[in-house]
Amino acid sequence: MSKKQEKEPELKGTLYSVLFIGTFILVTWFMAFYLFIDRF
Amino acid sequence: MTTVTEKAKGFIQVDKRDAKLALAHIYVAFIALFIGGLCGLLQVLVRSGQFTLPWGITYYQILTVHGVLLGLILTTYFIFGFQIAAVSRTAGTLTDKQRSIGWIGFWTMTAGTVAASIMVLLNEASVLYTFYAPLQAHWIFYVGMALVVVGSWIGGIAQIMKYVEWRKANPGQPSPLITFMVVVNLAMWIICSLGVAVEVVFQLIPWSLGWVDKIDVLLSRTLFWYFGHPLVYFWLLPAYMVWYVVIPKIIGGKIFSDALARLSFMLFLIFSIPVGFHHQLTEPGIDSFWKYLQVVLTMMVVIPSLLTAFSLFASFEIRGRELGAKGVFGWFKKLPWKDARFVVPFIGMAAFIPAGAGGIINASHQMNQIIHNTIWVTGHFHLTLATTVVLTFFGAAYWLIPHLTGRILTKQMNHLAIIQAIVWTVGMSIMSGAMHIVGLFGAPRRSDFSTYGGSEQAADWIPYQIAQAVGGTILFIGIILVLYIVAHLLWFAPKGKTEFPIGEVSEHAEKTPMVLENWKIWLTICILLILFAYTIPVIDMIQNAPPGSKGYKLW
Ligand SMILES: [Cu+2]
Repeated sequence: MSKKQEKEPELKGTLYSVLFIGTFILVTWFMAFYLFIDRF
Repeated sequence: MTTVTEKAKGFIQVDKRDAKLALAHIYVAFIALFIGGLCGLLQVLVRSGQFTLPWGITYYQILTVHGVLLGLILTTYFIFGFQIAAVSRTAGTLTDKQRSIGWIGFWTMTAGTVAASIMVLLNEASVLYTFYAPLQAHWIFYVGMALVVVGSWIGGIAQIMKYVEWRKANPGQPSPLITFMVVVNLAMWIICSLGVAVEVVFQLIPWSLGWVDKIDVLLSRTLFWYFGHPLVYFWLLPAYMVWYVVIPKIIGGKIFSDALARLSFMLFLIFSIPVGFHHQLTEPGIDSFWKYLQVVLTMMVVIPSLLTAFSLFASFEIRGRELGAKGVFGWFKKLPWKDARFVVPFIGMAAFIPAGAGGIINASHQMNQIIHNTIWVTGHFHLTLATTVVLTFFGAAYWLIPHLTGRILTKQMNHLAIIQAIVWTVGMSIMSGAMHIVGLFGAPRRSDFSTYGGSEQAADWIPYQIAQAVGGTILFIGIILVLYIVAHLLWFAPKGKTEFPIGEVSEHAEKTPMVLENWKIWLTICILLILFAYTIPVIDMIQNAPPGSKGYKLW
């Protein structure tokens, strides 16, 4: 293993991207959930 | 696309004899793509209501050809071609014995494929790719399917033997990442396909031969879906291998973390199998507690999926920042948007966001009723398999085939490959989008064109069926384009050396803990979870079995 660098890589964009996916999943899920509640 | 060929001197080349074995699989895969794709085109045309099949060919016959050739044959063969090449590239050339076993596997699978295909073409087996009882096919169809599975075990063992040999020669060291991933995928495949093998050998074959009159439908479907869900992950994990290991190299970056990649593969292994009930959520005869338990286990797959997303974004962002990207999302523009080897799989990754979200809805227990047996489901797996997986495989074929044939992907072909992916995206957005929407309105899947006795509701579906025909036709153009590129790479492209890209792990990454390669631990967890999720409900199913069913030929 090489010596670890002091500075961690900046991963802000990665964080926001993964949060976007999580939000997308939740939004679509709740859309389907309310459709379900509406119908059954 | 820069110096793919210039830098080629130092590349590690897959041995010619191994390349031949890998290519044999890839040939069959693309033949299956052509025939299966043509049947897909005919299907969407029939369902538009504007077209009838000639020469007494039936809808369910071409539907079976489409599903079997694309869902089972294209996938398994491409995956084996890719995996054999990947193992040979990273763990070393196969021994003569391993390679012979690989060929025995290939010919066993191919004999099975031919036997099953003939029965489908003779209209003796129009039972769709799920071959659900009580639809009853000719026994030769089932024997063919069994041979495909057994052949895949034999071919899989050849790959595993190479891995075992490597581990023995390099004690205490983590194996090459992609070889490790291949073995995880094969372990999952062997464990899950035992279920379908039991169904075929002990239920379907004796019943179709007339040795027994009746079949336990619930048990047969349970065995099928014990296999059927991990089957989806068997398709998906090779795409993940490309994303984790190959793509970082193509963009000029590094693998974010070897340990994270191995952990997510092991999580896929343990959470992909004990979850088949999420395909049987509307079925009577399974206690709702066990359905709930398997729904919970299904949702666990979100963890490795988001780990994967994180790892990929991190590779992209770190690389973009190395190239001088500024701001939160500046790195996105720095990615190699003119390189088909990146762009085509990238579209596949993007498609997995709506595909995964849809999958979570499907598996949400009671909510499954919104979409059950509607064409939404068809739209769903045309995003997962027919976009995410297939575009990643196409993107991989653009370097794998020329690597194996000693040719290069020319600039024009690279350009055409990107056009192909755009055509695919447009066609699939229209087709799969229409399927998702009209599925929510109740349009059924698997069914021939019908006005349902002039029903008003069914009339509302027809515009969407026409949209599916438009999308499906565009997709068929996409198939012609990819076959043209593949034919070029196989026989006509200029000779030269093409890299088999294998990424290196980032210097920031922690050392991989060996526990991630401890098979005793992970296989034990895997088997315990399967026993936990299935033992009691299966005993219940057998003790309180429904009356058996005789076979039906409804086509
Ligand atoms: Cu599933």
